[in-house]
Amino acid sequence: MITITRDPIDLCKILVDAKDRSAGGTTLFIGSVRDHNDKGTVSEIYYEAYKEMAEDMLAKIESEVRKRWNIKKFVAIHRIGDLKVGDISVAVAVSAEHRQEAFEACKYGIDEIKTRVPIWKKEVSESGVTWVEGISPKSE
Amino acid sequence: MAKEQLDLVSVRVKLFASSRERIGKDEIILSLANQTTVGDLKKKIMELYPALSSTKIPFMIAVNHKVADDATTISHLDEVALLPPVSGG
Repeated sequence: MITITRDPIDLCKILVDAKDRSAGGTTLFIGSVRDHNDKGTVSEIYYEAYKEMAEDMLAKIESEVRKRWNIKKFVAIHRIGDLKVGDISVAVAVSAEHRQEAFEACKYGIDEIKTRVPIWKKEVSESGVTWVEGISPKSE
Repeated sequence: MAKEQLDLVSVRVKLFASSRERIGKDEIILSLANQTTVGDLKKKIMELYPALSSTKIPFMIAVNHKVADDATTISHLDEVALLPPVSGG
């Protein structure tokens, strides 16, 4: 399941969606708003997405994962809007027959989300409000 | 040269995040030659919007939800977006 949402991320629902009777292991990665950046204290982060493209990219990442690893369920959710420190911004859950596939596929999923999916964050910190200019996605 | 190659077409370019704030709009509409390339579109945006070119922050162009290279051609039916460097997660 792939979603960009404005609603708080429900971890129990993600684990239920990732559950599979033939899976022996499930991994869950949770990304949350950190209280600092390299310049000082961060109080909140605003996330914005190009929703239609972001959902297409998440689906593409899922299909790449399924080609590389024999997994059962793949769940990826990214939240957008105003988030406070401690709020969950992103979650990836993967179930597979064995833990190694679940760990590797989950890591690939979150690494690719951070570098390819059109989502941007604006940090509110002591030093002001700044868009984080991260990584330029490559052409496909 | 065939007539359609001389025609100008309107292309809407969606804007996001820092680019949206710098230009102050959710999208811009550019008049471009039909079959313009992504490379030409980038040049035109840099000329018309110093608020973007002055930042030196690189941007990519997505065509129909895919990041496109400079040789990709654009028609008025395509969904085009300007993507600043991404920072999700």
